Amino acid sequence: MSALDLADEGAAGRIEVRDLVVRYGDAAAVDGVSFTVGRGEHVTLLGPSGCGKTTTLRAIAGLETPSAGSIQINGQTMYSAAERRNVPTEKRAVSMVFQSYAVWPHMSVFDNVAYGLRVRKLPRADVAAQAERALDLVQMRQYAERSASLLSGGQQQRVALARAIAFSPSVLLFDEPLSNLDAKLRAEMRVELRELQRRLGVTSVYVTHDQEEALAISDRVIVMHVGGIEQIGTPEDIYHRPKTRFVADFVGSANLIAGRIAGSADGNGHIRFESAGGLMLEACAAHRPRGNEDTVAVRTAHIGISINGAAPEQANTQGNSAAGRIRQRLFHGDFIQYVVDWPPGQLIVRRPPTDLFAEGAAVTLSFAAEHCVLLEG
Amino acid sequence: MTVFLLLFCGGLVGYPIVYLVLESLNTGDADTFPPESLGLDNYVNLIDDGRILTNTAFVACIATVMAVVLGFLIAWTLTRTRLPGRARLERLMQLPYYLTPLVGALAWAILAAPKSGFLNQLWHLVGGSGDLFNIYSAWGIAWVMALFEGTVAFVMIGAAMKSMDPSLEESSRVLGAGKWRTMLRITLPLVTPGVLGAAVFVFAEMLGSFAAALVLGVPGRFFVITTAIWEATLSFPPDYGRASAMGFALFAVMFASLTGYRWIVRRGNYATITGKAFRPRPLEMGAIAWLLFALCCFYVLVAVALPLAALTLTSFQRFATVFLSETELTLANYETAFGFGAVNSALGNSLLLGVGVATVGVLILAVLVWIIYRSRVPGSGLIEYVVMFPQAVPRMVFGLGLLWAWINIPIPIYGTLWLLALAYFTVLMPLGVRTLAGVVLQIDRSLEECARVCGASWAYQLRTVTLPLLRPGIIAAWLLLFIASVRELGVSIFLVGPNAKVIAPAIVSAWISSSTELSAALALIQSAAVFIALIVLLRAARRYSGELP
Repeated sequence: MSALDLADEGAAGRIEVRDLVVRYGDAAAVDGVSFTVGRGEHVTLLGPSGCGKTTTLRAIAGLETPSAGSIQINGQTMYSAAERRNVPTEKRAVSMVFQSYAVWPHMSVFDNVAYGLRVRKLPRADVAAQAERALDLVQMRQYAERSASLLSGGQQQRVALARAIAFSPSVLLFDEPLSNLDAKLRAEMRVELRELQRRLGVTSVYVTHDQEEALAISDRVIVMHVGGIEQIGTPEDIYHRPKTRFVADFVGSANLIAGRIAGSADGNGHIRFESAGGLMLEACAAHRPRGNEDTVAVRTAHIGISINGAAPEQANTQGNSAAGRIRQRLFHGDFIQYVVDWPPGQLIVRRPPTDLFAEGAAVTLSFAAEHCVLLEG
Repeated sequence: MTVFLLLFCGGLVGYPIVYLVLESLNTGDADTFPPESLGLDNYVNLIDDGRILTNTAFVACIATVMAVVLGFLIAWTLTRTRLPGRARLERLMQLPYYLTPLVGALAWAILAAPKSGFLNQLWHLVGGSGDLFNIYSAWGIAWVMALFEGTVAFVMIGAAMKSMDPSLEESSRVLGAGKWRTMLRITLPLVTPGVLGAAVFVFAEMLGSFAAALVLGVPGRFFVITTAIWEATLSFPPDYGRASAMGFALFAVMFASLTGYRWIVRRGNYATITGKAFRPRPLEMGAIAWLLFALCCFYVLVAVALPLAALTLTSFQRFATVFLSETELTLANYETAFGFGAVNSALGNSLLLGVGVATVGVLILAVLVWIIYRSRVPGSGLIEYVVMFPQAVPRMVFGLGLLWAWINIPIPIYGTLWLLALAYFTVLMPLGVRTLAGVVLQIDRSLEECARVCGASWAYQLRTVTLPLLRPGIIAAWLLLFIASVRELGVSIFLVGPNAKVIAPAIVSAWISSSTELSAALALIQSAAVFIALIVLLRAARRYSGELP
């Protein structure tokens, strides 16, 4: 591939990571990760702690030295094991919001935000104007002269964000920026971050272990597990069509039903899946089935419950339905979680708080074939 | 890089120790090097000198018990009661340590010498007969050591008490145990490892303690191991072999004690010491609390107020006496201190060394700390070990090793301030590294990384982020190194020469030549320099709202 191709904005994304490997001693924290982030796109690396997501992000920033693979930003090779090239952090023109905020306590809020501008030797007037614009964006203008050591957690978060966007970087990296905030503030900041990211149109890579956060604010989500990528897709893709057992389990809540493929259903592209209890289910597959898959996943929110005899609420003929008995009911406020005994074993079902059923009631369970997803592994 | 640092630090630390060991095995002519014949004779002779060993053990044991009991009670009072002015008391508690055992011993010699001591004179005045106190005794030495070096016990036990999670006690109360039962069954067992660790640590310190035994023991020919070492180097001809053997034996025992201390601390951690500071819940202790408060006040009285008062009074007198009616007030002692050639140069040299060692030391140590704790240079653990090693060597043993090492080297710095500066730097490395490391470890790595991400080069980041963040630590380390240099005795006493005098040995020689009044004046001047630095340190610490090291 020539440099000319890479400069073409349509062909290459803003960030391209290829076969990235980062080792700590003998252990590979990141083991052969490849993905592309398009211009203006907001991509989230999601996974449990130790999955390599932060290491990947830090490698993009140049804070970790990989041992193999390549990283390109804006068409320029920032790291390449083959070319023995490793551009230092400060020359990569990326910006980053740290998990600890890393707001410098010995400077004022303004000095923190102006840092990147002063490093770039901008004229004094421009420094002031751009820093103030950034502070306006995070509504921290009135705190500009305050010492950064006197700020609350939420305020520090805003300062860190303003500092990261002040010098108009083309790529913005976020390392779990909301994980130190309390739940309510986190929900608010989530909305603001999404808003800001859209407004600035800046390419961003975001790291989090919070699946709700990942689904809510991303254009695409990359689910990582033990140093590798499990699935890349839109939030809806990841939620509705998990590829692997890990994704189904880690993102949202799902029932995993063991069994085997028993053939294909007629005409509609669905397959027939015989569960361990002998119950035959109609399932869909996002991939071309190999035949030896042994698990389907059903989201707890995709399952309908109706009292026996009453008309089922989803009168879909090509769906699945089975008899069950409610074993336990837990009221969670925003939803009610039922544990239901049914032929393959136990099923977890989440219903809106208006769907009340008594413990011990005999019920009919129903879910569409599209929501019964065959897992690749 | 690593290799260079290891060679540099290892050379500074290891070179004198090697000389010490070789000389201690020398059975030929004590003054030739390398030794003509090697043997264990010097060590065998030690055992014959049983008196010195029993004296040392006796004094160290009493002093340790006094220091730990006092330290425990005071730490308890200051962390667990609701007494007024606790914060101020806590700060006062640290003063005796900065006053130094040498000054403390001088002051107590003035206060409690048989017949002439102020306290004994007062006793006679109210009609008592005989002497109330005799400071020139094993008990007197132990008393001064406990007061002025035992502060460590208080600090360590206090830290153990503060790091105890109050919910451990609260759950005992909730389960129905009473106040006293909780204290006996929960609190005491939990702080036991801390107290035990402090005891072992203080014992090691007391074994290597020199100043009190020098001022209070030598006049009555009562020798402990440190003063015996000193005596051996002063005899004619100097018996360096014997001195080195004693020194190495002392080092071995102290090293073993400190190893034991580390073992206790690591093993006895339970889950109480989480590194998290808790606010211990004050207990309602009624009248006992006031008794403990009185004890704290008593400690401040005998370790700060009385010594300073006695020294001040004496320093203005022509002849030391407690009776103001008979006293002749004079400024002559201060005139001598500032005017008399040798003494005044000692003063100047000490300040010069203090400023020089602190300035150069902080610069070198800052780089060293950075490499040890921040870089991913292989072998940084080994460098740390080497750098921290001098704290396991008794000061005066190190001084002896240095003396012997530098006499035998063709570089002509023996008897100059250069050697003193090099020696100070070596023995103060652990202090400086510990202080700076405390600050470096508090600085989150991301604070620096963020500067780089913002586009700053390494040098720009160093100037705008790293150094400003390190400033409180650098100031604290500078002041602590200055204080430690100005009060240094153990190493200095072997390395001073006619043209390189410093203040602590000058105080000792003034004392030995029986000029109590002059030594009092010198002691006060030294303390004044230390206290000024200390006040600046406290101010700086408060301004940066950092913690006192």
